[in-house]
Amino acid sequence: MSDEKKVEAAPPKPPPPAGPPAPPPPKNPGMITFTVDGKEVIAAPGTNMVEAAKQVGVEIPYYCYHPRLTIAANCRMCLVESSGAPPGKLVPACQTAIGEGVAIKTDTQKVKDQQRSVMEFLLLNHPVDCSICDQAGECKLQDYYMRYDFKPSQLEGGKILRNKRKVLGDLVVLDQERCVLCTRCVRFMEEVAQAPQLGVFGRGSHEVIDVAPHFGKLESNYTGNIVDICPVGALLNRDFRFRARAWFLSAAPSVCTGCSRGCSTFTDFMGQDVYRYRPRENEAINKSWMCDEGRLSYKQINQNRVLHSVLGRGAEAKEAHPGEAVKYAAMKLKPLAGGVAVMASPVASNEDLLAGLAFARDVLKAKEIYVSGRPQGKADFFLMTADKNPNRKGLEWIAKAYGLAIKPFGDLTAALDAGSVKALFAIGADVPEADETFAKRTERLELFVVQATNATKVTAAANVVLATTSHVEDEGTFTQEAGITQRVRRAFPPKGAAQPSWKWAVDLALELGNEIKAMSSRDIFRSMSAAVPELKDFAWDKLAPMNQTRPGISTMAAGADGRPPGWREQGVPNMHGLSKPQET
Amino acid sequence: MASGDEYDPTPSEDELEAHLQTRNMVINLGPSHPATHGTVRLRIELDGETIVSMDPEIGFLHRGFQKSCENVTWTQVLPYTDRLDYVAALANNFGYLTAVETLMGVQIPERADYIRVIGAELHRLASHLTTAGALALELGGFTAFLYALEARDLLTDRVTELTGARLTTSFGRIGGVNRDLPPGWVEKLTKTLNKVEELAAEVDALLTRNRIFTDRTRGTGVITKEDALDFGFTGPCLRACGVDYDVRKAKPYWAYSKLTFNTPTGNNGDNFDRYYLRVLEIKESLSMVRQCLVQMQPGPVMIDDWRITLPPKEDVYGSIEGVIAHFKLVMEGVPVPVGEVYHSTESPNGELGWYLRSDGTGRPYKCHVRAPGFQILAGLKRMCEGRMLADLIPTFDTINMIGGEVEQ
Repeated sequence: MSDEKKVEAAPPKPPPPAGPPAPPPPKNPGMITFTVDGKEVIAAPGTNMVEAAKQVGVEIPYYCYHPRLTIAANCRMCLVESSGAPPGKLVPACQTAIGEGVAIKTDTQKVKDQQRSVMEFLLLNHPVDCSICDQAGECKLQDYYMRYDFKPSQLEGGKILRNKRKVLGDLVVLDQERCVLCTRCVRFMEEVAQAPQLGVFGRGSHEVIDVAPHFGKLESNYTGNIVDICPVGALLNRDFRFRARAWFLSAAPSVCTGCSRGCSTFTDFMGQDVYRYRPRENEAINKSWMCDEGRLSYKQINQNRVLHSVLGRGAEAKEAHPGEAVKYAAMKLKPLAGGVAVMASPVASNEDLLAGLAFARDVLKAKEIYVSGRPQGKADFFLMTADKNPNRKGLEWIAKAYGLAIKPFGDLTAALDAGSVKALFAIGADVPEADETFAKRTERLELFVVQATNATKVTAAANVVLATTSHVEDEGTFTQEAGITQRVRRAFPPKGAAQPSWKWAVDLALELGNEIKAMSSRDIFRSMSAAVPELKDFAWDKLAPMNQTRPGISTMAAGADGRPPGWREQGVPNMHGLSKPQET
Repeated sequence: MASGDEYDPTPSEDELEAHLQTRNMVINLGPSHPATHGTVRLRIELDGETIVSMDPEIGFLHRGFQKSCENVTWTQVLPYTDRLDYVAALANNFGYLTAVETLMGVQIPERADYIRVIGAELHRLASHLTTAGALALELGGFTAFLYALEARDLLTDRVTELTGARLTTSFGRIGGVNRDLPPGWVEKLTKTLNKVEELAAEVDALLTRNRIFTDRTRGTGVITKEDALDFGFTGPCLRACGVDYDVRKAKPYWAYSKLTFNTPTGNNGDNFDRYYLRVLEIKESLSMVRQCLVQMQPGPVMIDDWRITLPPKEDVYGSIEGVIAHFKLVMEGVPVPVGEVYHSTESPNGELGWYLRSDGTGRPYKCHVRAPGFQILAGLKRMCEGRMLADLIPTFDTINMIGGEVEQ
């Protein structure tokens, strides 16, 4: 029987040795097709898993990854299961490029255990600081702890102590105990700020971030950004520190008016005070960054404001309410129409200039305007420009469209010194020379009307000071140096008895018998921008960013006290203005 | 004198009739009237002493309950629920919490289930005693009222010891109850229950076979079984019509499935049945609380999950994990998964239902409450029209309209 079997069971011909099967052709040529938690994703080759997963709404947690920095993959929070990985291994989603047909799983027990372990290690030596930490409410440790860990501490004994207040630079202070060593700040300083001054020092549990010894302290115009990108409360802004809790702030999308770059910002405010600027993502202008100088320029909105219009000079000066100021200014301007020199500042918004220059041309019968504005400053290698005026382009466009000749400031000073100018109407009190010098030149003027936001030597020299709002107190647009026009949103109502500059123009024009039909800056833009070819196609309403977002905590329609963001300022909830906070 | 113009002293038939005003009189009962327990206005059209039509007008106690809930965290809704049926705050507290827990798919510890039954039944006792006592009071029987209120006050004292508040208890949290029974409380409660039983028997003896009381309550405020079902009656008012529907039996929750109890029903749907049903339910509730005290075992009263319940204080002060969990729970609220739920419990007045909807955040997206009193008040018109004005107040008593829950 066994013989029989032997005969019958002649071994069949072995198949040819199988090589690796030929990879199937890509499902979508030119793109990579793969799955995340069973959902199919199509993405460009080279896309990392974190970004690809976002496309289908799968959030992979991370600390060290930042879309605008190189990949470090050191936090290990983003580890996921991938069919392309060696068996039993997890792969860092931020570092791993997607592959055709690969299946990624982000919610398996193995991944969850990994995330919990990472969180446990990160919190092991973390101080019990939430109650005194500026980052509380917008802290990734807090967010991820509740989502991925939510277990008690297993630590026995004390935590490792490090330097809790290491001043790194003029704007930044570091709490080394809170640091999770993601090295975002180190990479930012090297790659974006081009000032490789930060490093990781020490070994093991004693690793800390610090400034390299030979630098002493951070020297860069971009140090504020490392506070923004710090996922925890380790790097803090010394200007903002201990001044406000993040969940009490509301944020209005705006632009920085510190220079002609016009970086997109969030204006974080409470009541009628601005607490900080944060960069708002804008691929065309500032990516995710802004300079320190611009970041601190919010202070002029809070400090030294002209809150009430002032009539008269020196000892005769008295505060007046807006109606009174308009009547007084109109009475003084009326006999001088045709002989009033007009000075316009490129700090004013497009709406202010559309109305103000129309008033100058039609009511004051001006043929030319002198351009004032802040003096030129220094530019740097990245964002900051030398021209410190946010809207020079807009001013030039509007003046040209209105047929007004643009004269440099020097011509005005010469004319003032020669005494050939009797009266001056100024939109904005900024001048590109020392305030004292200009104030001295205006002494001989019969009439000097100035719309001013901040009190300066120039406003002290004027006969009529019309209190004017800052750019966050009204809706408007600014055109930056490259000709990109951006909308700004109103954060809070005008301070004191200040009015927007366009409103002064409308009121004065009406008083002087030349009505400009406008109730808002929107009306101004809609009715007057048609004359300006560069502005007439700007979709004022459509391009307005969502207003009133909350920097930290929840993006839902309520804050810590149950009221919607911005209720303190607006009174009426802006339910349409809810949007997600910026990814950091 | 012309003969035709002569005065005829014989009176005609219609001259002898008194031509009284035949127009119906419209009166207001409330909104501020000692016999309307809530702030409700009843617009009553009277033909003599017969009610021709009646229109209950609510809204004087409207607080925007549902909208307020959308603006606070899931936990912060709790104090608002106290103010629904304020005579039985614990029933509202626990009903709401159970609805949220159902939406989250959370199972609370067994001991917490028992504590919730005890709390809810104590407040059912309080509510029923108040209803019976107030009914007697407004029919002129002040004595029975005093006995009933003495019993209620004893119960309120026990509730105060348990929750820290006499009226607005805000007791319980998502995931259980926030504190266990105080030491020695069970003994005190046992004595209290005995005393309440005596006092309730006293009320029963004073009223149930009292000729004046039964004459005033039997056959008044009648509603048929069909009408009651159509109006959406639940609770004692429905059971008095003979429908055996009680959420505790129909869809048992907490520890009710482990307890032995009856749900008494009436036959006539009149004021007497609604009153007597409550007397019987008082006995059932006393028995239920006693059973709970026997059955319940020591153990945790809150689930142990820092995503839902606050960490112990020593962890909040002493560990970063604790302080983060505390911060997030307090500032953002318990994250309830996306979804919707309808869940109901048997409150003293009937089915207290919650329709909750979550969008995944710490605050309700929608919070609707089906308060049992609303449907019953709507049926008051049917129970009173064509009847005597004097029977309105007893009827208003036995439906036990509570302004807080009806007007929300």
